[in-house]
Amino acid sequence: MRLRIRFSKLGKVRFVGHRDVARIVERGLRRCGVPFTYSEGFSPRVRMSFGLALPTCYESVAEYLDVPLNPESIEDGYIACTGWGEGKSYNEQEMQEALSQALPAGFDVVALTLEPKGGNSLQETVISCGWRFDIPGADANSVEEAIERTLQSSEIETERKKKNKLVREDIRYGIHDLRFDGQSERGPVVIAELSAKPRVIRPSELVDVLAPGAEMGIARRTHQWIEHEGQRQEPLLPSTSPQLKEYTT
Amino acid sequence: MTSLWPRLEPLLPRVEKPARYIGCEDGARTNIYKPDATSWLLTYPDTYEIGLPNQGLQILYELLNERPDAFAERSYAPWTDMEEQMRSAQIPLFSVDTHRPAAEFDILAFNLSAELVFTNVLNCIDLAGLAVRADERDDADALIGAGGHCAYNPEPLADFVDFFVMGDGEEVIADITTAVDEWRQTGKPAGSRPTVLKALAQIPGVYVPSMYEVTYDGPDLVSIEPTDVDLPASIEKRTVADLADWPYPRSQLVPLTEVVHDRLNVEIFRGCTRGCRFCQAGMITRPVRERPASQVREMVSKGLERTGYDEVSLTSLSTADFSDIEEVVAETIDEPGTCGRVSISLPSLRVDAFTVGVAAQVSRARRTGLTFAPEAGSWRMRQIINKLVTEEDLYEAVRSAYSQGWHRMKLYFLTGLPSEMDEDTLAIADLAENCVAIGQQYTKKASVTVSLGGFVPKPHTPFQWFGQNEPEELRRKVELLRRRLKGNKRVQLKWHSPEASTAEGITSRGDRRIGRVIEHVWRHGGTFQEWSEHFDLTLWEQAMAASNLDIGWYVHRHRDENETLPWDHIHAGLHKDFLWQDWQDALAGFGLEDCRWTPCYDCGACTEYGIEHVVASPIPPNGGSQGTGQDLTIGHIVPVELRPRATVGGTQ
Repeated sequence: MRLRIRFSKLGKVRFVGHRDVARIVERGLRRCGVPFTYSEGFSPRVRMSFGLALPTCYESVAEYLDVPLNPESIEDGYIACTGWGEGKSYNEQEMQEALSQALPAGFDVVALTLEPKGGNSLQETVISCGWRFDIPGADANSVEEAIERTLQSSEIETERKKKNKLVREDIRYGIHDLRFDGQSERGPVVIAELSAKPRVIRPSELVDVLAPGAEMGIARRTHQWIEHEGQRQEPLLPSTSPQLKEYTT
Repeated sequence: MTSLWPRLEPLLPRVEKPARYIGCEDGARTNIYKPDATSWLLTYPDTYEIGLPNQGLQILYELLNERPDAFAERSYAPWTDMEEQMRSAQIPLFSVDTHRPAAEFDILAFNLSAELVFTNVLNCIDLAGLAVRADERDDADALIGAGGHCAYNPEPLADFVDFFVMGDGEEVIADITTAVDEWRQTGKPAGSRPTVLKALAQIPGVYVPSMYEVTYDGPDLVSIEPTDVDLPASIEKRTVADLADWPYPRSQLVPLTEVVHDRLNVEIFRGCTRGCRFCQAGMITRPVRERPASQVREMVSKGLERTGYDEVSLTSLSTADFSDIEEVVAETIDEPGTCGRVSISLPSLRVDAFTVGVAAQVSRARRTGLTFAPEAGSWRMRQIINKLVTEEDLYEAVRSAYSQGWHRMKLYFLTGLPSEMDEDTLAIADLAENCVAIGQQYTKKASVTVSLGGFVPKPHTPFQWFGQNEPEELRRKVELLRRRLKGNKRVQLKWHSPEASTAEGITSRGDRRIGRVIEHVWRHGGTFQEWSEHFDLTLWEQAMAASNLDIGWYVHRHRDENETLPWDHIHAGLHKDFLWQDWQDALAGFGLEDCRWTPCYDCGACTEYGIEHVVASPIPPNGGSQGTGQDLTIGHIVPVELRPRATVGGTQ
């Protein structure tokens, strides 16, 4: 069995990099006494697998993590904790709350399930991501127009650096959804769904298209989509009332 | 209270490792602002990754925030890319806790743990929006304070820092807070700065350089004396008598981004009496004060549970010397909360099988690196530096390590030591090769890394009179060793830049005139001099020349007994005649036993302050006081003589 966890990363902690997030989560799991397992070898590591890496500086309400558990510590839907949680036994909802409390402000567990191991890894199965971002100082009308133009084009050429060389590339195929969503205090807000295959297209690439010369404001990943029996769906939906800790923005 | 965050936030996506600037650590205080209290900005003048784990800073952070009349936040030197962004957006130095501007604090207190950070201190003062020279700051400006090991020779920074603190900070911060609070409550009117400075200068352990006048006779320093009759001629360090009274930090900061020493750190004792003659830390932090084992256990267990770390470092200058070390280690490993998966790191000076035994016990969970520090290649040299490890001790330790599954280890050495001859340097290679040969009896993969540092003499040590080797000489010795070890793929040689050692030498034993040099280097872009990608000896050479000062005179010259040293008015307890006698003993090749278990040599560290060693066990560890069982009274006649070198083109 494993835990599948959906968590958020909001506020100042958006500047923490992906590798650091893994370390933070590992400490949280240990504080709760989650009965995780270790890899084999000279320097055993806690087994964890994340969904698509979130670029540093981006917020998210849809980060995913699988944690394989020691099968002996699960009984009737209850997880028997070890270590610092020795003596405690949690169901899914209790585990979600305990783990959320063990994570630093800005990180919250918004959904958690206990499920059988197996299937493809999250990284392999995610096909696209939903985003919401703003573009500070950009003109709302021209962004709206650029969105229209983009959707009507069959090709959107962008430049990006690949091995220190600038390459031109069409990204239109990867823009599944693109909408104007009003204004934040910084500038126009855009909602987008961008493909993760064959490569991950980032919101910052879209900023170059929608408001050339502008910088990305705050971007938030809202969804990671997988395909299951021909249907597009999320690996886990947020539980009905996840309690978010207070965090600083 | 103003927060710079809204202006900072847009800059962060443009810089490397932006998590350095956000704070948000577990254990950080964000609701500490007290409108009517003395505010401290505790600043580490190097990057966040290096500065955050600093235990001294974390202890003061907690103690100050527990006080009703004070609060403290933290700041670190922004990396060069961030500095560029901040300067162009006109954003000053800020605290990471609440992102307040540095200049809004009453005190900016710097931790000085290495000399090469001095130019960063100036840069931080400047980034705060304050004048770098103390005499150019306004009456109401924040006070600049500094403490830490390098404060024991405050003179090179005397022009820039308002007050220095000598010794342990736990108690003295209360006195400083009270003095500054009085000044703050007057509204800091024009003309009030000398009053608060004098109040500070009257606190034991505090040195206000602007109230001490330096007299020279040509290039020679004659005296440093107070300009006010109420001030002491000699500044005595502060020492906390019993660590048991100070179980801090209680909530060690857990950073969100990776830092050095990223683990739980529990200080198990302070001070060291092994008496290694090159070691400033061992001299200035005497006497030994052990934390009770029960308190260590509680701090370890609570700390691991609170932080979620799976690694703990039991810190001190030589952890295997702690009286109850085996028991503490065993109990940490058996702590049920860790599920047997905790690794323990034991920074230690002891080189013997005992240490390896403890380390092997430790690495049941995860095998960590093993480092030994014999410091010198030959027994003759090790007697001179009083690092009394025999070859047999080392080989026994190494055999024990390889036989218990280690494949590689690191050996630390110094070169450029007093009276060192080429055969002493080359003996390093013999030691390393013999270690590998022992290892090969146990594993085909056996290898050794030799790490070689150029020796820089430090104030308040018996070697403070010694003329440091010139960089050419250090390079020659490195080359000698490199050629000797060439072709041996199992011994890897790494060395510290001899040029950096020269700059360190200028600042470590410099006098007040070196302030101009530090300012020159800083004004010409010389920040982050601890970082090889930014270090530039040319800058230092040009700065010395511009100030008409001679590197040879400051760095490479042997001092004689009667010379007034720039730190003679700073007192770490050690009698100057004790240090001189120890220097003479060194040259004669006499070793000195650890005084924890032998009669007192009256170095001054205890007797001067009416305190004593606090050790849990009256019995020396297995193998005698140095763990070697050697008879130390038999010295050797040193075959070379040290003569003061003629000054090369002395221009003063």
